Amino acid sequence: MTRNTRILMSVIYWAFIVYLFVPLALMVTMGFKDSKFIGFPIRSWTLDWYTAVIQDTEVLSVFGYSMTIAISTTILSLIIGTWIAVFLGPNKFRGKAIIFALACLPAVIPGIISAIALRIFARLIDIEPGMFAIILGHTVHNVPFVALVVMARLSTQPKSHIEAARDLGADSIVAFFRVTLPYLKPALIGAGIFCMLLSFDDFVRAFFLGGYQPTLPVLIFAKLRSGMSPEINAISTIVLIMTAILGLWAERSMRRLNKGS
Amino acid sequence: MAHADTDRADLRKSTAPGGRMTFWGALLHNGTYQAVASALFKTQRRQFLILASLPLFWIFFANLGPIVEMFWIGFLDSYPPKVGHEPQFTLANWAAFFQDQVFIVPFFRTLAFSFIFTAITLLITYPVAYFLAKHVKRKNQLLFLLLLLIPFWVGEIVRTYAIMILLGNNGAVNLALKSLGLIERPIPFMYTGFSLGVGIIYLTALYMLLPLYSALEKLPDNYLEAAADLGAGAWTRFRRITLPLSKEGIASGCTLVFLISTGYYATPVLLGGPRSTVFAETIAGFFHVAGDQWPMGAAFSSIMLIATLGVTGLFLKLMGRDGKGMMR
Amino acid sequence: MTGEKDTIVHIDNITKRFGNVVAVDRLDMKIVAGEFVTFLGPSGCGKSTTLRMLGGFETPDEGRIVLDGVDVTRQPPNRRDVNMVFQDYALFPHMSVGQNVSFGLELKGQSRPEIERRMTELLDFLQLSGFRDRTPDQLSGGQRQRVALARALAPDPKLLLLDEPLGALDAKLRGQVQIELKDIQKRTGKTFFFVTHDQEEALTMSDRIVVMNAGRVEQAGTPEDLYFRPESRFVAEFIGETNLINGTVRGIDDDRVVIDWNGLDIRGSGHGHRPGEGDNVTASLRLENVVCHPKKPSRENAIEGRIVSKLFKGSRTSLDIRVGEKEDTVIRAYMDAGNAAQISDDQLWISWEPERLTVLRD
Repeated sequence: MTRNTRILMSVIYWAFIVYLFVPLALMVTMGFKDSKFIGFPIRSWTLDWYTAVIQDTEVLSVFGYSMTIAISTTILSLIIGTWIAVFLGPNKFRGKAIIFALACLPAVIPGIISAIALRIFARLIDIEPGMFAIILGHTVHNVPFVALVVMARLSTQPKSHIEAARDLGADSIVAFFRVTLPYLKPALIGAGIFCMLLSFDDFVRAFFLGGYQPTLPVLIFAKLRSGMSPEINAISTIVLIMTAILGLWAERSMRRLNKGS
Repeated sequence: MAHADTDRADLRKSTAPGGRMTFWGALLHNGTYQAVASALFKTQRRQFLILASLPLFWIFFANLGPIVEMFWIGFLDSYPPKVGHEPQFTLANWAAFFQDQVFIVPFFRTLAFSFIFTAITLLITYPVAYFLAKHVKRKNQLLFLLLLLIPFWVGEIVRTYAIMILLGNNGAVNLALKSLGLIERPIPFMYTGFSLGVGIIYLTALYMLLPLYSALEKLPDNYLEAAADLGAGAWTRFRRITLPLSKEGIASGCTLVFLISTGYYATPVLLGGPRSTVFAETIAGFFHVAGDQWPMGAAFSSIMLIATLGVTGLFLKLMGRDGKGMMR
Repeated sequence: MTGEKDTIVHIDNITKRFGNVVAVDRLDMKIVAGEFVTFLGPSGCGKSTTLRMLGGFETPDEGRIVLDGVDVTRQPPNRRDVNMVFQDYALFPHMSVGQNVSFGLELKGQSRPEIERRMTELLDFLQLSGFRDRTPDQLSGGQRQRVALARALAPDPKLLLLDEPLGALDAKLRGQVQIELKDIQKRTGKTFFFVTHDQEEALTMSDRIVVMNAGRVEQAGTPEDLYFRPESRFVAEFIGETNLINGTVRGIDDDRVVIDWNGLDIRGSGHGHRPGEGDNVTASLRLENVVCHPKKPSRENAIEGRIVSKLFKGSRTSLDIRVGEKEDTVIRAYMDAGNAAQISDDQLWISWEPERLTVLRD
């Protein structure tokens, strides 16, 4: 590769970074505009929108609602996803490929269809649109990702570890909790945070499965439908900061743990 | 099974006097636990069935169930059930799709859009993935990758909003063009197929980038060195070695982006206009009206599912790969 | 012969098949309490399968395993009073050395003070006291091996299985560890069941060696038995280095066997095995038992020969010496490197004690 190509490639990368960050940067800046109307140029600046948002009980309760759903679905997804991974991972049985494909199904279905199907399904099994329905919907969507991440980690565990545990007196339960589960920790943390992000960011399922109380993305969507305003920017910026911190922390802990084992 | 008794007796005997057992020791020696465990794990087969119980239940009930239900409802004439009316089997919902332009046009438009957006995303992200995999030192790759990931954690609504601010009549692009003196009046980017495209490409770039990067990263450097050694120029090396060997990544990336872009609902609503209605909006329309329209919405969703999975399957077959292996 | 009550394990005619392959074929033997027994053989001979059956990780298709009077054939590993040192040590990475060693004790239902006491005792015994809080990734190969041993010894099993545990160590360390292991075995008095493909290792450490080949026992005996009195071609070749001589029996005189080896008359010993006249036999002559003489010696059993190749090996030189006219009458012998350097031409005389030429039972 010549130097020129290298420079060109580098430019492309940084241009791409700019392309990714600029819209977000603009959005953040707009939150400081001292005007009710969204648009450039910005002539005066203010922090009022942020102070208003932080004190807005409606926004805070929506925020808490989203968090509750995210945490609940993460716990459920981790349990179910890990169980599926342990079931599928090491065992060989007839029909395994089909079961595996079916387990991954929610990940390949377009969002709107998944949301619609779940909405109908919820009605069928008599679940009201609302928090529980959303948690169910998110969990259905998250479980394949958890299963895949855990399966990848599980496949690197030497078989002798489990045999050693059994040799020393452990039955399957003890061996799982005392040897396998600690080994899976990096995968579980990574998958867990990924679930939190997926759930927190999800719009389409929350929209169709939700009741009167909106989640954060649904709230922002509703506000946008009635017209843009810097208030939305303030809310969005806070979300941006939060998810960035969460995501970075996840990456750091994953790297550190993966190195340790 | 005389030995079972001996075993249990042995276990209890080894408990030393004085002091408490640890949690796991105590658990293993607890009578209830032993009874339950020996009943559950009596044979390998039984153990396996218990291990399979929740996963199979979940997979069939939670994954397959809603899809099957959706198809089923599409063939009913009314859902949710009305008082005094038995839902009848009917093909009318499916027929309705083929009979009205209002439905068919958004459908094909969606597919066309998704094709185009996928192709553009591939063209934009391939160089970036290549740069990351081949030109960045291994130890820095993580950092460069992390930088790319940050914008994606914030979610589709916020990012769609950011594009709205970018492309609006008072948005950044128009402001820039005006201040450069290139235009007098703002260009109406918003509420068109163009703005929708910008939005969707913006949202899905990562899903193309990661599989591409993953595939390119695995490409051994010495293949290219050997080719150069044998006299191949840069373009030839790319065309005959890099490209074919990254086929897997291209296939995965394109599949993912195609499926995801057909599934968006909020972004088309916010960024698109009446001339660029996508099928997701059509389907959603049936569910905001309480009552009889659900079966039609279900039928249309079924059609869309078949179409998208069909197209994807065909695409993967053409690329010469089995669809299931894609999920790596 | 040991009495029945000294037997700690009776491997009673066990057979194990994997598909069409018979991994272990009607293996029947007794292991004496407190002995260091080694199963030796090439890969695929069945030694590891036997080990795993003793541990409970495989179940025999036929036969039984009786441990201290109890039929444990179908007992799973967690119920068996047998512990294993794994080839890759299998130390739990998220636990400290102390926690690893305590693991078996915990599950046995010991009280905390008792666990602490026994764990400390074992760490001291294996010189690991300072490593108690370290994790496995902070240990060297030799240290990890000792932790694995401590962990397996902690629950005080009736039988200790060792699955080629020295394979991952470098040669120098291996020699040291062999001595340590033997010492530990003697001091604890535990029955060690050791599996290896390294014959030197087996000779160094074992009270008894069982050589296996293709699922069957080739020969079992003390290291001396196997080394000096191999019964089959396989054992003779597998253990130590040897010359194999094929010839026809000319005559027998007491224990002396006269063999016609491609025209040469040589004398060997049957060691209790009496072949008939005219039989085709194979005899084994270990390299170190061949004495080289620059000039014709005064003993009777000497043959003249010509050096066809010389290989310098440091402390000694190996010489290939052709003693007859035919192609395959080459004997390999060792000579002190200093002396070997002094040989000017390629004429040489070799001789050996007739007892050292062992007629094999094949």
